[in-house]
Amino acid sequence: MGKKAKLAKQKADLTYLNNNQRNIDSDKDYLGQRRDSLAARLRTGDRAAAAELVDEYYQQIYLFMRKLGHDRQVSEDLTQECFFNAWHHIGQLKDGKALNGWIYRIASNVSRLHWRKHKHMEVIGIESIEMPNTGNDEPEKMEHNEQLERLRDVVERLPLKLRETIILHYMQQLTIAEATEAAGINQGTFKSRLNRALKNLRKNIK
Amino acid sequence: MKEEQINELLNELGRRATEPVRPGLGEEIKQRIPHRLSRHKIGWDTVNIIIDLRLSKSVAAAAIIITMILLLNLFGGRDLTSGGILKDGMLLINYWRGVGEDHVSIARSKYEHLLDRGENVIWYGDSIDIKDANSVLMQRKLPDDKYELTFADGREKQVNSEQLVKLLTRMLEKRTK
Repeated sequence: MGKKAKLAKQKADLTYLNNNQRNIDSDKDYLGQRRDSLAARLRTGDRAAAAELVDEYYQQIYLFMRKLGHDRQVSEDLTQECFFNAWHHIGQLKDGKALNGWIYRIASNVSRLHWRKHKHMEVIGIESIEMPNTGNDEPEKMEHNEQLERLRDVVERLPLKLRETIILHYMQQLTIAEATEAAGINQGTFKSRLNRALKNLRKNIK
Repeated sequence: MKEEQINELLNELGRRATEPVRPGLGEEIKQRIPHRLSRHKIGWDTVNIIIDLRLSKSVAAAAIIITMILLLNLFGGRDLTSGGILKDGMLLINYWRGVGEDHVSIARSKYEHLLDRGENVIWYGDSIDIKDANSVLMQRKLPDDKYELTFADGREKQVNSEQLVKLLTRMLEKRTK
């Protein structure tokens, strides 16, 4: 490949990356505006907005409950309870940015209360992990999948508080600020718990 | 294992650790959305509970009627001429100030209130010996030829016209002595 061709390819890649970043930014703006509008409508008591909230979050909250170790039936009940509580605490919702933190905080509280009432219940995580169907069982892929399985087992064995920080930040993809709000603690405590959880994982996954 | 690798694996685990959610769950939650979503205010919990109960119109009407009857019993069930809330208020003031300390001023304010309402009342408080517990401070005309008397010690008593004349005569006699 000549020098000119290389330069042209680099230029094309750069343009693609710039466009991609612009698209991501505009998607973020759109999502932010949508959430602001949803939060504003919820605060005025709009039932259609409440239905929209359910559509957007019920799967996330159900899976969050499953990742926290509740079985299927309990996770469904707790998801319903989470939304029921949300209708009664709409006044505490500030704006669209706080929507994630607000709904996950309610979900965390619902889950915590359940664990408190059923202290000796077994942690039942999601059994199957979706693996991409590559067609060939390359040893590297198999090893990677085994690593994932091992990591899941170690996460499930973490103490509840540490497990919650890992699930909120890494597995539910919440930002530190949102996850902190959801856990109902200050940012310093959250970061310290996250560090302890990661140390624990590193120690046990070797 | 390096920290970045764990972070990546955790993110991947989050994406892959998933399972199908029962399709009807979302609809079930939507059916439980209350008819009126309102801002949470302290003290409004009871109202919200009542709204969430989704009572039928007839049950709601019955509840309102029962509440009104209870309120009427509490505040409106007494004879209006007996003072009602005003009397309760004065009793409370009495309690705060110390019983028997200032019956004259309480009776005076009641007299002024009744006078404003256009009732037939006479004030004797300016010309009697208030140290005498049996002195009449105020007289108020009631229907069916009866009178309500307020004494210097705060007592109230209903008397007929003959008893009234006797009491007033005795008071006058004391004053002339």
